[in-house]
Amino acid sequence: MPDPDERPEKEFAEEWRDAAYNCFSSGHKFCREVCPVMQVTRNESWSPTAFHANVVAMEKGELEVADVAADYVNCTGCGACEVRCPNSLFTGDFYRFRTRTVDLVKAVRGLAVEQGVHQPGWRRWNQLTDERRHEPVLDGTPVDQGRVRDWAEGLELPIGGESILFVDCEAAFVRTSVPRSVARILSLAGYEFGLMNEQWCCGGPAAEMGYDEQARRFARHNLDDWRAAGVRRVLVLDPHDYITFTEDYPRYFGDAYDIEIVLVVELLAELIREGRLTPHVPVERTVTYHDPCRLNKRKGVWREPREILRAIPGLTFHDVDRVSQWSYCSGGGGGLPVEKPELTAKISEQRVGKAAELGVDTLVSACPWAERPLSDAGRARSIDVVDLHELLAESLGVSP
Amino acid sequence: MTYRHQEEMSPPPARRVTDVAITRFEHVYEVEPALMTEHVTQQSFPNWDTLRLVRSRADHLAWMHRHFAGKVISGEELLHDLDE
Ligand code: SF4
Ligand code: SF4
Repeated sequence: MPDPDERPEKEFAEEWRDAAYNCFSSGHKFCREVCPVMQVTRNESWSPTAFHANVVAMEKGELEVADVAADYVNCTGCGACEVRCPNSLFTGDFYRFRTRTVDLVKAVRGLAVEQGVHQPGWRRWNQLTDERRHEPVLDGTPVDQGRVRDWAEGLELPIGGESILFVDCEAAFVRTSVPRSVARILSLAGYEFGLMNEQWCCGGPAAEMGYDEQARRFARHNLDDWRAAGVRRVLVLDPHDYITFTEDYPRYFGDAYDIEIVLVVELLAELIREGRLTPHVPVERTVTYHDPCRLNKRKGVWREPREILRAIPGLTFHDVDRVSQWSYCSGGGGGLPVEKPELTAKISEQRVGKAAELGVDTLVSACPWAERPLSDAGRARSIDVVDLHELLAESLGVSP
Repeated sequence: MTYRHQEEMSPPPARRVTDVAITRFEHVYEVEPALMTEHVTQQSFPNWDTLRLVRSRADHLAWMHRHFAGKVISGEELLHDLDE
């Protein structure tokens, strides 16, 4: 029998016990009703509270990671539970100690993979990503290194330079009109930028599904590529990449991480404020805005997308405030659509249902990963799902 | 707006408020860090995270008011009612 003190779960629990007890000793479940997975499943084993309680059980030797690894699939990494938890919202900044459900879920997934416990969909997804250097975004879409800059054909963007635009796998291979719109808008404002020499996937999805070694390897490649080309600033249009570059990369590289990260939505709002961009073509739509979880809940970015929407003439904008949207999610994050597409679909249907109650014809999204499940759900209710960057481009009179 | 790692990990200098509390950002109070070195140690807290929580709290309290507060009563009025 293995020495109980040398169990990997024991070692893991040593690192995570304080964060886990922070929840376990409170257990008040303010997080439950804002959790999108909980909303559509009512499964207590898939609640933020359970994710923390399991660590306590692991510490006491009552549980092995193999017993619960599949439960940890059921999280989109939306961050609602963290921000709604009183131990973050009311005391987190005071103690410099807050609820860490998102990081914990990632860490348990990492522990599972380390122990050889794989989820079949995630394993395949990451194997393919490792082979192709990019996520296998949509069956049938050719994804390979030779095509990563195809989206920019004809735009005559330089390679390298002080600022580069990083385009996530979904946008680079499937939603190519999104990065094209962003590139056209930035050029219109006279903002200089180039493209990466050899862009690989940011590594964030691998990190979210527990494939840590792969995530770090991909991150290392990208950072080395930036350094070799003298890049100082990375412009990011995808909220998921923004999290990876501002949370994962700093953890991997520490003080040596000296690259500036700029969120494109924030940059565009600033360019409008400065008068360098003036939307003038009316867009006759009745819209509401979907706050991407990774911007609103996890980063506190919610003003700028609304500023952009309010600058577009012709739009009728039915806004739902950012706090109400803490309980909204597309279901597209955290690898959930890879393992449990049916749950993603349910969460998206619920989100689009909220939009339908407002009587809008369009749901504006600012996240390429949210867009696909939201669009699927939108079709059933005749609600268009439109990307914010593309909407702005339309109003600026530039076509992708 | 721009994320710079070095800046994020360098909080403004602390000013003591009481024996057990300090402040770094205006109107934001923190426990004296020396009190959190033994039983529970503090987490790595970039500036953006502190500010995100502070602003989220304010937004959440305003939201609660909008949704649930019928009227706002001052502390003075409450005390007065108790005295009666
Ligand atoms: S995560 Fe926070 S709100 Fe949810 S049960 Fe734990 S302590 Fe309570
Ligand atoms: S991060 Fe989101 S999906 Fe995951 S447990 Fe928290 S609220 Fe639920």
